[in-house]
Order: sequence, then C-alpha cells, then structure tokens
Amino acid sequence: MIHLKKDQTKLMIAVHGWAGIMLGLLLYAVVFTGMAAVFAEEIGSWSSGHVESRSAFERPIDSAVRRLAAQTPPKYHEGVDLFEVGDHNLGVFFHRHETDPDGTFVSRGLYYRLNREGTIANTQFGTGEEVFGANNDDALSHFLVDTHVRLHVPNPWGLLLTGIVGLVMLVAAISGLLIHRHLLKDIFTLRRNANPVLVDRDRHSVAGSWSLPFAFILAFTGSFFSFFGTIGVPIVAMAAFGGDIQALNDTVFGNPGRPDPRPAVIGNLDRIAADAIARSKEVPTFVSIENFGRADAKVTSFHPPRDGDIEPVTLLYDGAKGRFIQTKPSIGTQPSTGGTLAAIMAPLHFGNFAGLLSKAVWFALGFAMCYVTITGMRLWLARRGETARSLEWLDRTVAVVAFGLPLALVAAAAGFLVTMPLGSATFWTPTAFLIASAVVSVAGFSLRSAMLAPLLQLATGLLMMALPTVRLAMGGPGWPTAIEAGQPVIAALDLAFVLGGICMIRQGAKARRARTPAAPLSTPVAIA
Amino acid sequence: MSQSLRKWIRLFLAGPGAVFVSLVIMGGMPLWLPRGAAGVDNLVLPLILVPLIWAALFFHACLDRRLARVAIVAGVLFLVHGGLIAHKFSEPRPAAKESGQ
Repeated sequence: MIHLKKDQTKLMIAVHGWAGIMLGLLLYAVVFTGMAAVFAEEIGSWSSGHVESRSAFERPIDSAVRRLAAQTPPKYHEGVDLFEVGDHNLGVFFHRHETDPDGTFVSRGLYYRLNREGTIANTQFGTGEEVFGANNDDALSHFLVDTHVRLHVPNPWGLLLTGIVGLVMLVAAISGLLIHRHLLKDIFTLRRNANPVLVDRDRHSVAGSWSLPFAFILAFTGSFFSFFGTIGVPIVAMAAFGGDIQALNDTVFGNPGRPDPRPAVIGNLDRIAADAIARSKEVPTFVSIENFGRADAKVTSFHPPRDGDIEPVTLLYDGAKGRFIQTKPSIGTQPSTGGTLAAIMAPLHFGNFAGLLSKAVWFALGFAMCYVTITGMRLWLARRGETARSLEWLDRTVAVVAFGLPLALVAAAAGFLVTMPLGSATFWTPTAFLIASAVVSVAGFSLRSAMLAPLLQLATGLLMMALPTVRLAMGGPGWPTAIEAGQPVIAALDLAFVLGGICMIRQGAKARRARTPAAPLSTPVAIA
Repeated sequence: MSQSLRKWIRLFLAGPGAVFVSLVIMGGMPLWLPRGAAGVDNLVLPLILVPLIWAALFFHACLDRRLARVAIVAGVLFLVHGGLIAHKFSEPRPAAKESGQ
C-alpha cells in the first residue's frame, strides 16, 4: 500500500472529490452511454429487427464492387473501404485522401450503400465523417455511440471534451487508490445498519475499489482514443514528418512497397474474403483496398481476435493477383511493442475480445463505474451538509442526471422503435431523447429530489418493460422467427429489458416507501 | 515565498503546466525513442503514453513537497523535448520524410 502523509492524503481527497464534482455528471453520461454502447451491435440488431445472420462477406460481393468501380471516377480509386451496414448489407466507400484548406486531413469520395440483392440503395458524396452518419435503421445504436464518443458536440471539441473527461476519470481512479489507507479491509467492508451516509460510503468504496483496474483501463484507453486524432497525430506528424499526416498514416498503417501505377484488374474479392475467413476463423469487420485497379493494389482484411487472444487479426493480400501475402499486425509490417499496444487498445476499451462474455463483464463494470460516480457525488454533497442550502441545486441536478439519463435513453429507444418503420428514426431518436430530457428537467425543478428519483425509476422501469411490446407492435420479428434466423439476441434483449424494468420498478417502489434520499444533505458526517 | 504563492505555482504546474509539458514530450519522444522492429514504436508509443505522462506530471506536482523539484523535473523535460523539436526544425530536410531517423 502507498502510505501518504496526512496533509497529502487530505490533498488527494480534495483532488478526488473535486475531480468528480467538476466533471462527474459528464463522466456519468459518458460511462453510462458507453456501458450501453458495449452492446451497440446487439442493440442495433434488436431495434431494427435484423434477422440476417450471414455476413455480407460470406455472400458474393465481387461483381457488385467491380460494377461500382466502373461508375466511380478513377480519382476515388485511391482507397476502397468495405464494411457491413444495416442488416448485414455491404457499404462501399471509394475515396482519396485530401487536405482541406483549413489543414484538416480527410478521406473524400463516393459512398454506396447496397441492399441485400447487391444493388445500390443509397449513394452519397462527402468525407468519411459525413457519409458514415446515422441511417434510419441504425439511428439508435449510432445515437448511443455518438453520445458516448463526443456527447454530440461537433469535432474536434466533442472528442477533446470526452478526452478531458477520461483524464478526470484517470485522476479519480489514481487518487481513489492513494486515499485508501487499508485497501484490503475497505474492499470487504459493508456496514448495512450504519448511518445512511456511511452505508453509501461503504458501497462507494467497495464498488470503486473492485472496479479500480477497470476504471484505470477505461480512462486510459478512452482518453487515448479521444486525443489520438485530435491532438496526438498532428503533433507527432509535425515532429516526425514536418506536419505531413498522410506520411505518418502511410508509415504506421500503410503497406510499404514500390509504387506501380500500371493498370491491373483487381483479384477476385469473393475468393479473398473466403480465404480470409478460413484463415482467421472469423468474418472480417472491415476490408480496405489500397490503389484499386493498379498493379500495386493491396487488400487488408481486419478480423476480431482469435479465441484466447486479445489482439485483432489482420491479413494482407496482393490485390491484383488475389494472393495471400502475410498475417500482419494491425499497425506496422511486423510485430512490435508499439503496434501490439496500439492494437489492444480497442478490445480493452470496447470489451469485445471474448464475445458476449467479455461484453457482459464490461457492461457490469461500466454499471459499477456509474454507481461509483453518482454515489461519489452524493458523498461529496453529504460532507458539505452545513452548506446544504447553497448546494441544493447540485443535489437536484445529480438526481435529474442520474435517473433522468436512463429514462431519456429508454425514451430514445421507444422513439426509434415507433418511427423506424416510418423512415424518420434519424430525426425522432435524438428528438425523443431531448423531449424526455426536457420533461425530466421540468420535473427536477418542480419536485423534491427525494420524490424525483423514485418517480423517474418507476417511469424508466415501465418504459423498459413496454419496449418489447412496442417492438413487436411495430412489426419487429417475434422470438420464434428471430431464433430460427440465428438471432437469439433479439429475444435475449427483450428479456433483459423486461427484467431490467422490473428491477427499476422495485427499486423505485422501495425508494418511494423510504421517502428519504440516498444521502440526505441534512446529515453532515465526516467521511474521511 | 508565501503559502498562497506556493499554492498558485503548484496549481499552475499541476494544471496547464502538466498539459503543456506532456504535449511537448509527445512531440519530442518520436525523435529519441527507438523505432522498434516495425519502425513505428517511436511514432505510436508517444500517442499511447501521453495520458499516463500527463497523469504522472499531475500527481508529481500535487504530491512532491519540494516545489522546486517539481519545477525542475517539468522544466528539464520541457527543455530536452522542446530542444529536440527545435533542433529538428532547424535542420533542412525533404518533406514527407521522417526526420531524425
């Protein structure tokens, strides 16, 4: 254990408390939506009623991509990205790398969204950031991810904001470790019959201590992702390549070789996809083609980690010959410390390295982090009981955000389910969230927080329980259809929503009976 | 030095000072870190490590009782990495070629 002197411990407690109180609510919003976004793919399938279980890369794509290439100006053949959209349909982005007048490095080109038959469903011209926006059938999962990644604040400010939130979480985690004088004792101490504030303190301490390594990993990897493109890449490119971001990208992510601009027909993409699946035992999450239609074309397919591994699999093919070249690291041409560390950042952050099991663990630990954040803020308020009146607004705000955010997210899901069949889900998903947020805010001004919390829990629980019925009423697939189509996750999420709803209602009813806030401001207690 | 001034200096070193020095360290690290087997370690490691570098500077500024030592550590790191960056920019070199390699 690290033993600090008394004044240092006092300072660390202040740092821990202020870190939480300054950005705790934003941290809660980011972690809560991140917790839900762990299951973004499953939520996407559930909400849109996706019953296609075969990947787009397991179906013929070669002729469709060739057809699209023929109708796309050759200047956008510099790079072609292939990935899945919607119900395992194919998205194809022909692009080239450009630097905008303001110095921003972008990929710009034509994005084709194909339907199940391989014909064009939608065509869009723009930068990567513009064309990969929300669609009608993925508006809900997109909304969740966008809230988590940048809180809907335009880039780069949104990413910088969530990056700062990540650093605050890092500070809270490290200072939380430093202020424990008896960590081993503290992580097993739960005094159930003590003063309510001490009970809350014990719960905060136990949940925080057990999830400390997870908090550290999440904060570290999250701030890495936020600062990577916004600050990190420009600074490193400036230092190492005189500001040439393309040169940095080519060195780190590219496949070096002598340029050969001679025209050459691309190899058979169906054979490449089949070979990649056979080698990695997983369907690709993404396929990238460099220099499409040239003799030096390279095809790179990215796959989830193999069983028992945490590093994703990347396979490299000669594009013109359709021949396998090598299994390569995600970053660099051969294994290296930096490449391996960078490659495991995503699995560590998203928790997707061992299928549903690791996702469930990440979800549970995310829930613990949310609990730690809110109880931490309430404890901070409880310690300042003497100045309760001046901080009442903060106590109320904590209640509004803590219990209002889940309600608003469930309302967004309901809004999506109702409007997706009408084709207006991209508008109504965020709008439903905003309407629910406005209602919760008005309720927050009108009601005491002791009344507000149970009421919001009851409303959230009822709405959660109603979601499966709404989904079915709007034409979503029933359980037999979903299970027969190999999508049991639809039934599993229906069950999860009903059970979650019951838990919320029980919690709300319990709190309503108690009619006392979890940490009453009128009870000043020395915490540390 | 008054306690109040010491407090403000510490606050500066832990706040904007730690941010600024960690960004300069990130810029300077590619110029001295080994490139590694794949030739990318010097480029990738600074990007990965910057949150930890910032956290180390922040907690050092908070916990080290000797304020002068905090200032010296931050100052030396800033001067070394800032100097490396300045030296690199003072050298004529072709564009889009990694310098210092």
